[in-house]
Parts: sequence; C-alpha cells; structure tokens
Amino acid sequence: MFFPVLSGGRRSTMADQRVERFEQVVLPHLDNAYTLARYLLRDEHDAQDAVQESVLRALRYFDGFRDGDARAWLLTIVRNYCYSWQKEHRTDRMTVPFTDDESAAIADPHAADDRVIQAGERERVQLAVDALSTELREVIVLREINDLSYREISEVVGIPMGTVMSRLARARKHLAGSLGVDSRKVG
Amino acid sequence: MTCANCLEMLSSYIDGELSADESAQVREHLQGCADCAREHGKLLDTSSLVRGRLMRYEAPDVLKARIRAGLVGSPREVEHRAANLPRRQRRDWVRGFAAAVVVAMVSSALTVVAVRQGAPDTSLASQVLTSHIRSLMPGHLTDVASNDQHNVKPWFNGRVNVSPAVPRLDSAGFPLIGGRLDYIDGHSAASVVYTRRQHVINVFSWPVSGRSDVTTTSTSNGYHLIRSRKSGVETWFVSDLNVAELQDFAQRFERASADGSTAIK
Repeated sequence: MFFPVLSGGRRSTMADQRVERFEQVVLPHLDNAYTLARYLLRDEHDAQDAVQESVLRALRYFDGFRDGDARAWLLTIVRNYCYSWQKEHRTDRMTVPFTDDESAAIADPHAADDRVIQAGERERVQLAVDALSTELREVIVLREINDLSYREISEVVGIPMGTVMSRLARARKHLAGSLGVDSRKVG
Repeated sequence: MTCANCLEMLSSYIDGELSADESAQVREHLQGCADCAREHGKLLDTSSLVRGRLMRYEAPDVLKARIRAGLVGSPREVEHRAANLPRRQRRDWVRGFAAAVVVAMVSSALTVVAVRQGAPDTSLASQVLTSHIRSLMPGHLTDVASNDQHNVKPWFNGRVNVSPAVPRLDSAGFPLIGGRLDYIDGHSAASVVYTRRQHVINVFSWPVSGRSDVTTTSTSNGYHLIRSRKSGVETWFVSDLNVAELQDFAQRFERASADGSTAIK
C-alpha cells in the first residue's frame, strides 16, 4: 500500500542527496548510539529521545563532517546531548560529578554489593556497571561494548588519552571488586 | 620495570594500547612476577565478563521510524523544497510519515493486519497510525496540555467540526493529558490524549457520513488500533499498550461518553 508512495518521487535535489548520504554514513551506527544513551541516561524513553535529537543535530552539522569516523562523531553528539539533558533536568540519577577522586567512583557501593550478590551473572554485570559513576561507566561502555580505541574514546569524551587510560583502569578495578573476580592461575 | 609501573599499564596492555616497546616490558615483567600476573588475570577475566555479559541494545523500530520521519521531513529540507516546489511540500510530509510506517513495518517484517473492509481502510489505519507515531515525537503530543476535561473539551470549539468526548478516567488509571489537532483522511480530527503508565493512548475522532456502525481491532508493528464508528462519528483508539487494556480503555471511554457528549456540530 505504501511502497508506491515512497518510490513515487525520485530524490533529485541537493537536499535529497545530502540526506541520502547522511543516511548511508550515520544511520548504521544507531544501535551504538542507542546503547550509549541507554547506559548514560538509564531510561529507555529518555534514551530514544536523546538519539532522535542527536541524529537531527548531526544532520544539521553534517556539512562540517568530512570523511572520518562517523561512529565516533555520532557518539560524541549523543554523549554531549545526554550530558546537557541530564544537566537541564537536574536529575539525581547522575549523582556523581566530574572528578577523578577515587571515593566518588561508585555511587552507592553498599547498595550495589547487596543487590549484586543475588542476581544472575548477566544481571550482576549490569548492576555493577550501573553502579559506576557516569564518567567511569561511559568509558567502559565505549571500550567494551562499542569497541572504541583509546584515541576515539578521548575524542568522544573530550579528555586526554592518559585520562582515558586511568579511567578505564579504575573502572575495571571497581568492576573486578564488585563482581568478585578472583585471580585465576598464577604465572 | 617496577610492579607499580606494571600495574598502572596493565589495563592499556590488555587493550593493546601500549607501544611495542612498553608492551614487551610488561610481558617480560609478568613472566617474572606472580603478583602482577594475578592482577593481569583478574583484569582479563573482568574485561571478558563485561564484554560477554553486558547488554547491547538495539535501537527500537519505533525510534528508527521516528528518525526516518524526521529526516525526510527535516525543516531544512522542507524549506529547501518550499522554495523550489512549494506545491509539493505537504505531499512530502505525507511521504515522510508513510516512510516512517514503512520502515517500522519492514524492519520487523510485520504486516498491517488491518480492518476487514479492504484497501481504503488499510490506508486509513496507516494514516491513523502515522498520526499516532508522529504524536510521540518530542513536542508533538499535545496542542493543549491539561488533565482537566473542562479545559480540553472547549479547546476544540471552532477548531474541528466534532465535539469530542473527553471523559474523566483517572480513577480507572487512565489520566488525561490533553488534546491535539490532526488531519486524517481529508478531515480535521480531534485527538484526545490519555496515558497508562508510560504508554500514550490517542483517541482520534472525526465526523463521517456513513450510517453503518463498525467496530474492529487491528495490530500493526506493536501498536493496537481499535476503530469504532457510531452515530456519525469515527473514533480510533491507538496505543502500544497491550490489547486487553486498550479494549478496557475503549469500553470505559465509550460508556463514559454514552450520554452523547460526542456530537457533530
């Protein structure tokens, strides 16, 4: 029923070509974008809105994007959108401010411990990552799920490579602790 | 290399982010130091546990549809077209929304199980669904936002040639959030918006000339649509709420408005 409507007009204008190229370059990374937004905002509906707004924003800035890593570029926009959204909505879900202070790394260590004990493995990992502060959570997600290099992470988050390194190290240390990972065979 | 140096570099080591030189030094240290090797094992286990178990999300179909609709009908593109091809503008919007529905359907390989009457009603169902999806985009849900029917109902006066029923259903767990104008099947339509938990329910209504009463239920891409045509008014209830609750809502809505508060003007 709808298909004739879609194919009815051929895309020919400059604007059409621009949108078409945008679709080819940027839209393949929607899952990555949505995953990052889910972990930053921890709400399905907020994450959807964030990705939608970010994509429209990306389309507006698309002229400034030359050939490069479209995924890191989109993730940067999503990440920035999520942070300003959080700020605007003054939600206390993002309880930990920007800091490299060790004590701030886990939002609520005791609550996390108690919940982690009873959950299944998948759930345990989810809860342990959720319990990380946003700054540690985002580097873990970008590295372990989105598989970004340190250089890409430093671009997306806007921090030096050395800080990416130290944040990832700290995040893993916390996760090893809250997941109770024991040392395996020595040597 | 000292243990402190080694431990500091371990995380980068497992990510393959060290220089060949540094990497060789860490490897050498690990061979001779049981403590650091243990930490190395812990890090590897943690990383693979997180990689293997942490949820990867897929962008939901409705989000993809919303994005497609936003791209095809993006303001800049529309402006551009308006300058060159002013008369096609509205049609392009329609195309955009149709595209949204197409993407939603194709990507989940679902077909519109539309109302029984055949082709014209299939397109009607798709128009209603498209209006519903569009209403879910940020900033499009209500033209008048109020949980008081005495604000919402009068707002439609002079805007649409039907006076829609706006019953109060808070006590049944369906709070009112407002009203909106839509354009469906060549008519201005009144849309009254309710919620149930996080689900939005749109109640679309407009006058029709046909006498026959119709009630049908259909499903398209996770949305349920209930159509009810009575006494010259076409009413559609649309939501991603489960079908039982939507039917319950439709029944309560119709009972509560059975005093004839929906009337053609």
